[in-house]
Amino acid sequence: MSVELIGYGCFFLTMALTYAIMCLGLNVQWGQTGLFNVGIAGFVAIGAYVSALLTTPDTANRFGGFDMPILVGWLGGALAAAAIAFLIGALTIRLRSDYLAIATFGVAVTVQLCALNLERITGGPFGIGFIPRPFASLAGDPLLFSLFNLGVLIVVITLLYLALERLVRSPWGRVLRAIREDETAALALGKSAVKFRLQAFAIGGGIMGLAGAVQAHFIGFIAPENYLPMLTFQVWAMLIVGGSGNNRGAILGAVLVWGLWAASAGAVAGLFPPGQQARAASLQIVMIGVALCAILLLRPRGILGEEKVVSRHLGKLSSALRNDAKPATPKQ
Amino acid sequence: MNPQALMDGLITGSMIGLGAIGVTLTYSILRFANFAHGEFISWGAYFALAVSSALGYLSGGLLTPIGPFSFGWSLPISAVVAVALTGGLALLVDALLFGRLRAQRGTVIIMVMASFGAALTLRSLLEFIFTSKPAYYSKALQIALPLGGGLRATPDQMLSLALAVVLVVAVHLLLTRTAIGRSMRAVSENQQLSGVVGIDVRKVVRTVWVLGAGLACVAGVMAGLLVQIRPYMGFDLLLPLFAAAILGGIGSVPGAMLAGLIVGLAEALAVQFVGAEWRAAVAFVILVLVLLVRPQGLFGRPE
Amino acid sequence: MSGQVVALSTRALVAGYERDLPIVRGVDLDVKQGELVVVLGPNGAGKSTFVKAIAGLVPIHSGTTALGSLDITAVPAHEKIRHGLAFVPQTENIFGTMSINDNLLLAANILPKEKRARRIADLYAMFPDLAARPSLRAGQLSGGQRQMLAVARALIVEPSVLILDEPSAGLSPKIVSEVFARLKQINETGVTIVLVEQNVKAALAIADRAVILVEGRLRHEGPAATLGDDPIVAELYLGARREPKTVTP
Repeated sequence: MSVELIGYGCFFLTMALTYAIMCLGLNVQWGQTGLFNVGIAGFVAIGAYVSALLTTPDTANRFGGFDMPILVGWLGGALAAAAIAFLIGALTIRLRSDYLAIATFGVAVTVQLCALNLERITGGPFGIGFIPRPFASLAGDPLLFSLFNLGVLIVVITLLYLALERLVRSPWGRVLRAIREDETAALALGKSAVKFRLQAFAIGGGIMGLAGAVQAHFIGFIAPENYLPMLTFQVWAMLIVGGSGNNRGAILGAVLVWGLWAASAGAVAGLFPPGQQARAASLQIVMIGVALCAILLLRPRGILGEEKVVSRHLGKLSSALRNDAKPATPKQ
Repeated sequence: MNPQALMDGLITGSMIGLGAIGVTLTYSILRFANFAHGEFISWGAYFALAVSSALGYLSGGLLTPIGPFSFGWSLPISAVVAVALTGGLALLVDALLFGRLRAQRGTVIIMVMASFGAALTLRSLLEFIFTSKPAYYSKALQIALPLGGGLRATPDQMLSLALAVVLVVAVHLLLTRTAIGRSMRAVSENQQLSGVVGIDVRKVVRTVWVLGAGLACVAGVMAGLLVQIRPYMGFDLLLPLFAAAILGGIGSVPGAMLAGLIVGLAEALAVQFVGAEWRAAVAFVILVLVLLVRPQGLFGRPE
Repeated sequence: MSGQVVALSTRALVAGYERDLPIVRGVDLDVKQGELVVVLGPNGAGKSTFVKAIAGLVPIHSGTTALGSLDITAVPAHEKIRHGLAFVPQTENIFGTMSINDNLLLAANILPKEKRARRIADLYAMFPDLAARPSLRAGQLSGGQRQMLAVARALIVEPSVLILDEPSAGLSPKIVSEVFARLKQINETGVTIVLVEQNVKAALAIADRAVILVEGRLRHEGPAATLGDDPIVAELYLGARREPKTVTP
């Protein structure tokens, strides 16, 4: 096998895994908690920009460049995105479920606008370049370099996966699912249900920020156009294909959809004349959009579906709650 | 405040208001935030463009400007056709997607997500058919006439404002004075009880789609006439539409229109004081303020 | 007062919100024209689901419902009223944001145009409380008045059968007796009434016949006058025997 092919394979997988991180973040919000986020691109962008600001060398004409270690950047990016998610969640989680969707959509629009217009901080439309890459010293050997980068992503994903699995099976995760599955349980928990949802939303947002940061350091360059609503859409498609509520599904979905996306982009590039490329690219989006709607209609639980992890004890608890709350109606 | 900014604000505001009426109606009757509503604005504008080009091709006389306006008879005719086509498009999307999800008893959030998918599909389809190059109904230039008090407006702008006022009054009367309007209010309050008293909920749902999409189409034709036609025109209005629908109070038609004007004027003000590049953030700021201070909106009932 | 013609009937009716979880499990019931029948039963017996299934609000899995000789099993909820079957739900049975008059207009909408105003006037004559303030928002009415408005709304179309799901819920005893007296009057004009009730005493006082539903099946039926002394009623309502379902932890 040629070195180029392995190199491309590594590149592809590394990229797919950065999306898998976003997907895991979304899974905490949507899959585990049922909170709808239409502003994924915004949270990813916050993580990417914050990390880039923290780690790039001092730059003329631009605020910062603090030249900090990459890990500090990642942490900073995740924390910043989590903080914004917390604020937006605090504003909307107690309201109707789609207000959160509208508000997160607003976050994405506004973050995009800030990235474009706050030139002194974000570099405006040209973005930020020279973002330090892990193992930069190995850049001389492309194969080794891409293998190491892939390694970093695998480590990040594994750690995140293990942590999230623990979280899902912890009492915290079980309460979260009970709230999602059962309105009565949520009502019985009252204020603390809002608190649990808010925590989940902030954690999910933080993971998306982390994804943005990791991706920025892998590509080495960011610009506002990387964070268009299309990104939000892709991540949703990934999670839905993989099956919401399932962490392995989230990772699998990311790799699968990213593969389809890359393949269809290649097909478009090959099949359409150069003048028609932009047009063809929109057709690609149409196909993904139709596919998403079709999955929602035909297989709303995704390809892998959801794992049942709610304990039997909790199941009983929630049915007991139901009987207490409304003894008169036979249905509930 | 600069009188010209006032005029700009009123014009943008009336387009937002017309769109927000559709958002607020779908929201209160179908009970979900429809992210695809902005696409009805874009599709409406492009439908009118296609029909009016076809009419102009058949008879050049239809392109001759009427009186002081920049457009010929081809535009009003095609606008009427476009309203019907956009209504049809909304019914088609409902039949293919939302209606089926309702039948499966999909949750609110599944509907929102589906509308998000539909939005992307519809927008990209427009981009595929018409490319992202801006288009115009008319190449004629218009001179703004002084209206007194330093206010100036082109005949097109004044016509659009008048049309918006007429439409809002008409929709308000439809909702409050007619049987179908009463049925719509009934379904928005209690769908099951509406069935019990003999209202055909499916018919009401169809009416809401056609009405909302028709108004969106008018907003799109206005935006196309006064600004330009782009596949992203509806998407760019989406956040202002939501902000206006929530500010006005979900379900309130006068509220949506008034809030649309408020959002439009706030945008015009922001353009004056902060710069045009921040225009799109105004709706977000308004949205956050409403959710903080009065989540039920100006004319809404607290839940 | 009750003739021999069957106004409403169900045959082997099985119904429930979810396919694999029938709540009504095979009920045969005949209600004769002009009869006032009360459906009794312990909590969770499926009384409410039973009448909602007849009204078309709960999916019917198998069996049939008929209005006279007309099979209405598959008729959608909003068309049942056109065939003369009116239903008053237990809660939220009026449109609270709309005026009294709008509530009545909504219901009158399925009548021919020329008949609407006359029927509304008839109903106002029957319920003077409502006629006093037709433009009042229905949500501002008291509990008893709401119930009256809901009944008035149901009667606008001159139904042959009127079904009420617990009209006494949440009302004070005095108001309950007023509402029930009114229902009896309506019944005496020839409207067949089926009543689901928890308030056994008040219901038996006006009913011709009572049927008892337990675990989704018809357990017992008899003339209302004698049923009050029947040991089975005491057993079901005084907790002498409890349903196994509610005692499982």
